[in-house]
Amino acid sequence: MKIDIQHIAKLSCLHLTDEQAEKFEKDMESIVTMVNCLPDVQDELTLDVENAMRLREDIAEEHKFKREEILSNAPQVQSGCLVVPKTVE
Amino acid sequence: MKLYEKTAAELSDMLRAKECSAVELCKDIIERTNAVEDKVGACVTRCEDALQKAEAVDKAFAEGKELHPLAGIPIGIKDNISTKGIRTTCASKMLENYVPPYNATVMNKVESANMIVTGKLNMDEFAMGSSTETSYIKKTHNPHNLDCVPGGSSGGSAACVAAGEAIVSLGSDTGGSIRQPSALCGTVGLKPTYGSVSRYGLVAFASSLDQIGPIGKSVKDVSMLYDLICGHDKMDATSAYREYPGTFVGLNNDVKGLCIGVPKEYFGEGIDSYVKESVFNAIKLLESNGAIVKEISLPSTEYAVNTYYIIASAEASSNLARFDGVKYGFRAKEYDGLIDMYQKTRSEGFGDEVKRRIMLGTFVLSSGFYDAYYKKAKLVQRKIAQEFSQAFKECDVIITPTYPTPAFKIGENIDDPLKMYSGDICTVTVNIAGLPAISVPCGKTESGLPLGMQMIGAKFAEQTILNTAYAYETLCGGFSCIPDTL
Repeated sequence: MKIDIQHIAKLSCLHLTDEQAEKFEKDMESIVTMVNCLPDVQDELTLDVENAMRLREDIAEEHKFKREEILSNAPQVQSGCLVVPKTVE
Repeated sequence: MKLYEKTAAELSDMLRAKECSAVELCKDIIERTNAVEDKVGACVTRCEDALQKAEAVDKAFAEGKELHPLAGIPIGIKDNISTKGIRTTCASKMLENYVPPYNATVMNKVESANMIVTGKLNMDEFAMGSSTETSYIKKTHNPHNLDCVPGGSSGGSAACVAAGEAIVSLGSDTGGSIRQPSALCGTVGLKPTYGSVSRYGLVAFASSLDQIGPIGKSVKDVSMLYDLICGHDKMDATSAYREYPGTFVGLNNDVKGLCIGVPKEYFGEGIDSYVKESVFNAIKLLESNGAIVKEISLPSTEYAVNTYYIIASAEASSNLARFDGVKYGFRAKEYDGLIDMYQKTRSEGFGDEVKRRIMLGTFVLSSGFYDAYYKKAKLVQRKIAQEFSQAFKECDVIITPTYPTPAFKIGENIDDPLKMYSGDICTVTVNIAGLPAISVPCGKTESGLPLGMQMIGAKFAEQTILNTAYAYETLCGGFSCIPDTL
């Protein structure tokens, strides 16, 4: 199966050089060929009824983290805010 | 016998009988780690405050305080489990300097039991791999043969126990990542039922398949650690609502009347003859002690690897979308605008295997392909789960090999993703069906490489598989997982 690797990379928010694209395209084509082999099962998708998830109580809770703790791992911070490249001209 | 060679259960008794102190034990582990870590490479980060914590445990013992049976026992933690204030890298450049501001729920439990965290352990990057070779940080070597891989993705967790660098460890298992390295390193590893151990604080790979579990030298150790970490957690929406009576108190090595199912699909082509023989010998041993053996069939096994890679990659592509260089983790140095920053950050921060899986997941979820891949795989997943449910009407436990071969050489399979993926055939079905399974050592090759046997149970039947494993361990005279050669 032919894969448009640059299209998939773009959807994945990845940038591939031409050399990388060639290698990944080959890998992906063989992986997709492998996983493509699946039977048609006549069934419906349903949720697990035996161990169903429950909705939590809708109660406002105090934040347990301080702003500085959350920001301490951010690559770039200014005045208590995350810094990103300009997005609006 | 050195302290690092003992099991947690033995050490727990020794600490209470004052035959050793938590500080002595901790020092022994530190010395052992200093001696072998350069060769094994199991650790990503060593915890410098371990001795201080051990001192506190000794003090509490001296004051006559009631402590958890695992108090003072050194434990290693896979580096995708969030540890407050301790770097948690997922063995990725993306999180190389990430220090979580909170603990995973399992870490709160480990700390409340006064266990001594000795280090954070190497793994495949974001748990994607079966050899720990995709780690950005370092290579981990199999303690039984340093030229071989320790398995993966929890390779550091299994290798550190087999090398005596910790008494027990925690790993995570999405498609075999606790059981396969346990098989390859000669340790005991339990993948619990989906929903029985909280995933809160486990860096997500494939959320519907991921599960944290224990690795140790003996079935008792794994049972004790499982009892500590299981339980409902409101912080994990998929956590099961049920009571856990404790498996350690229920451990029983009587297999009389136990019905063992042996699925023929797990002993076919591609399974090494050594592996088959040792698993069959183990089954015979259980049979000669009163177990009933029955051949069963799980016909959809042949589709398991394909189903797994579609579902796991689809979830991974979504989970790993959060790594964008904004909130935490790596950010590319040079870029031109926001989109370019996202792309460069992700392209430079992720390794090739992670990129392959993100792209596979993106592909199977993309417009025009969703029904043909993802939906189809979800339906096959149901079928695989139904076949297991049916099988458990006929038998109590299912026994298979854990991995088709013994540990392979470092570098042998890393450039062949298909070969690497197909090796997961014996373990992925368990995650697909959300079942518990344990891997125990069941012999060695002529060259001394450990082989593993997998025991699979029905949902929440941890006690049954632990009892079967305990029976086998007793019958074969115990496991010796630390090699003399290291």
